[in-house]
Parts: sequence; structure tokens; C-alpha cells
Amino acid sequence: MSETHTHDHPHHHEPIEEKQEALEFTILETAIRELSIEKKLFSAEDHRRFMEWYDDIGPTKGARLVARAWVDSDFKRRLLADGVEACKELGIDWMRPTGFGTPSDYTFFIVCENTPKLHNVIVCTLCSCYPRPVLGTSPAWYERPNYRRRVVRWPRQVLAEFGTIIPPDVEIRVHDSNQKTRYMVLPMRPEGTEGWTEERLASIVTRDTMIGVALPSVDWTTTSSPAEGKN
Amino acid sequence: MVRGMTPSDRVEADLPLTISQEKAEAILHVVHDVGGQPDGPLDKSLHNPGLWEKRTHCTSECLAWRGHWVSEERRRRENDLGQALYLGTPYYARWLLAATKMLLDKGLITMDELIMKIDEVRKREEEVLS
Amino acid sequence: MSKYKLGERVTVRDLPSLFHTRTQGFTRGRTGVVVALRPEWVIPEDEAWGRYEGRKEPFYIVRFLQRDLWPDYGGAPIDTLETEFSERWLEPARS
Repeated sequence: MSETHTHDHPHHHEPIEEKQEALEFTILETAIRELSIEKKLFSAEDHRRFMEWYDDIGPTKGARLVARAWVDSDFKRRLLADGVEACKELGIDWMRPTGFGTPSDYTFFIVCENTPKLHNVIVCTLCSCYPRPVLGTSPAWYERPNYRRRVVRWPRQVLAEFGTIIPPDVEIRVHDSNQKTRYMVLPMRPEGTEGWTEERLASIVTRDTMIGVALPSVDWTTTSSPAEGKN
Repeated sequence: MVRGMTPSDRVEADLPLTISQEKAEAILHVVHDVGGQPDGPLDKSLHNPGLWEKRTHCTSECLAWRGHWVSEERRRRENDLGQALYLGTPYYARWLLAATKMLLDKGLITMDELIMKIDEVRKREEEVLS
Repeated sequence: MSKYKLGERVTVRDLPSLFHTRTQGFTRGRTGVVVALRPEWVIPEDEAWGRYEGRKEPFYIVRFLQRDLWPDYGGAPIDTLETEFSERWLEPARS
């Protein structure tokens, strides 16, 4: 691997969102889609179905898997043994929308269980492979080079930038998904959640906890204020 | 490498006659193989994909669905774009450019068909905006 | 038939790369342990270059100690990294 520049001081990279986005890409995409459909490379219906799939995916699916695994140890066993099969139990179908899976996400899904001695974190250094059927689309930072460069070599520093400090007696295991396998982290169930319903448990399982850069917290939920969230 | 793209702040390479071993290795390094390279603090900015990005995703996947390429070829073709485009354009621009070039390379569309269609779409977009 | 078995120590071959690879530079020449046998699939060297029905071979997930991957690894000595290789990229451990 080559290092094309050194960093003697911390970089301050502003998010690069131009005020006026180029129309080039909108135009080009429309052009190749219309040409493809005209030439019957795929159908308008194919594209519509894929757009529907795209809008349907999201991290709440993964959160439900985690919540179910937390309350049902047999389900957890099945989830760890065969991710794609276990997903079917919650209506998550890795074969959608083509019937054989999506070209980029495949149908090999491994769930990595966190334990008191092991913390898992997911990356794709070579591109941005991500378990879209259970987590939806990846966050921008996961796709961009910085995370891909650094989390494999300085995982504790990168996690610290997310506010996640893992003690040195806990192994951090980085999974670099460089082939057809897709990964998701099964975080540990936090203390203070005894007696919670699956729905309430799922609400504290955020996308970042299933990538492994964050830990679920009982002080915050998506549906209630921190004050309400306390038992 | 590409943060300074405007004429005032970039230093262009201009077809060097020779380059050092170190430069050769750096410039020939497989573009996407970035694991372990140093970088600064993470920018955690989020981005809501625009319509063209969602459509790009689906167009790329539909082309693979119907057998015209596979995802691994898409990734290779994104690398073929080279470092400037790879690092200098939005994520889905690479998918889009790779898909476009694939269609041309395989003769599924011709260049003149493409430029006529781009012209047509551009005029349509400009009409909509005006 | 998989050449390498679960628990076997393997070294990643340090072959040249050009244009495209699925074997990360930072794993080349490094030694780890096979922790999973993955389904056979067409190798990326074929898929990426248009041979979709190309050569299939077994894939393996290999676990490395981070301190074996990076000479200056500053995290915990027990930290690990797992990633996946097609069979041709592995050889029996040299060390």
C-alpha cells in the first residue's frame, strides 16, 4: 500500500456539498435509463420494482432482528447460524426484488455477535459493501475513503470519534467485507431494558450500532424523550 | 490530490518524460485499495440520496439483473475511471459513469445514440427549469 | 473440495496487482487462521473482467491479529481483523 501524503497536522475536511449540484448526472442517468429501456436491456417495470425495493429497505429491519434476538435465544441461535433464513421469519427477504437477491448485496449474510469480550465492527475497504436488505443504504461516511482507510488500522481511534470507547481488554474485531459475504453486528443488550417490549428494544438499535461504531443506549430512543425512556 | 481542481490552485502533471519508482507505484496503485492509508478525522456528514442517485442505483442493478454485467465488473470499471474521478466525484457518479462506459464498450449503445439522447434530455430538463 | 481447513494457518500470497483487486494490499504476505469456509463462487479476476461463468473456487474467511497486519499497531494486542479470500490467494502458512 502506498502513502501519497503525510499528515503532520489534523486535516479539516469540510463536507463537500456544492450549493448547486451539477445537472450532469441527472441528465446522464435519465439518458442511459431511457436508452436501456428502449433497447430492452431491462424494462421500466424492472426499474420501478427496484425503486420500490430501494424505498422499502432501512435499518428498522435490522433493529427488529436484534430486538428479536435479545428476547428469544432460540431465534438468536438461528440468526447466527443462518442469517438469510432467519431473516425470513421477520419477513425480510434477501431474494428481493429479482428472486435471486440483488446484484450488489448477494445472499450471504453473517450476523456478528458482540459479547463482553468481543466488539465487532464492519467496513468494506475496497468499496462500500453493506447489508442493504437489513440496514438500507449506507451512510455517506461508510462509503467515503476516510473510514475505509482508517478503521482497519486504527479502529479504536475511529470508534472514539463516534464517542465509542472500547476497553483494551475487549477484542475489537474488524470485518472487512471484501467478497460476497455481508455482515451486521448484533450489539449486546444494554442494562436497564428488562421487561421492554420488542418494539421498544428495536427503537434503541440504531444503524450505527449495527455497523459497530456505536453502542445502544437506554437514554435515547427514536420514539420517546430521554426522560420517558428511563425505567 | 483532487481537492484543488480549479486552474488557480492546481499543479498539473503534463506527461512527464520519466517518473521515479515511488511515483510509479503511487500512481499505479489499485485505486480502491485504500485500507491502512492515513487520513484525518472522520467527516460524519450524512447525505440524503437525491433522485438521480436512487435511480442510478436501480439502473445499475437492473442492468445486472438482466445479465449485462455483474457488480464485480461495476467495481472494476469504477476503478478504471482513475483516481481523479474516483476521488473527485460523488459516490453514485462512479456507478453512473461505469454503467455508461460499459454500455458503450459492449456495443449495447453507440456513442452517437448516447450524445443524441443526452442532448434530448438536457433540452427537456432546461425546458422544465425555465 | 476445500484445500484449507478450519483452524489452519494460511499466508496471503503477495502477487502483483494492477487496475483491480479484491485482495487488499495490507493483507499481502500476512499470516492468519481460517475461521470460516465460504461457498464457492466465480473468482473476482473473472467476474470483474466479463467472464461471469468463469473459474469457481472455495472462499475462506481468515482472521489476523492486528499486530501481525500492522507493524505499528497501537490498539490492543488481542484485536483482530477478518477478511475473505479465494483459494488461489492463500498458501499454507510460512510461519
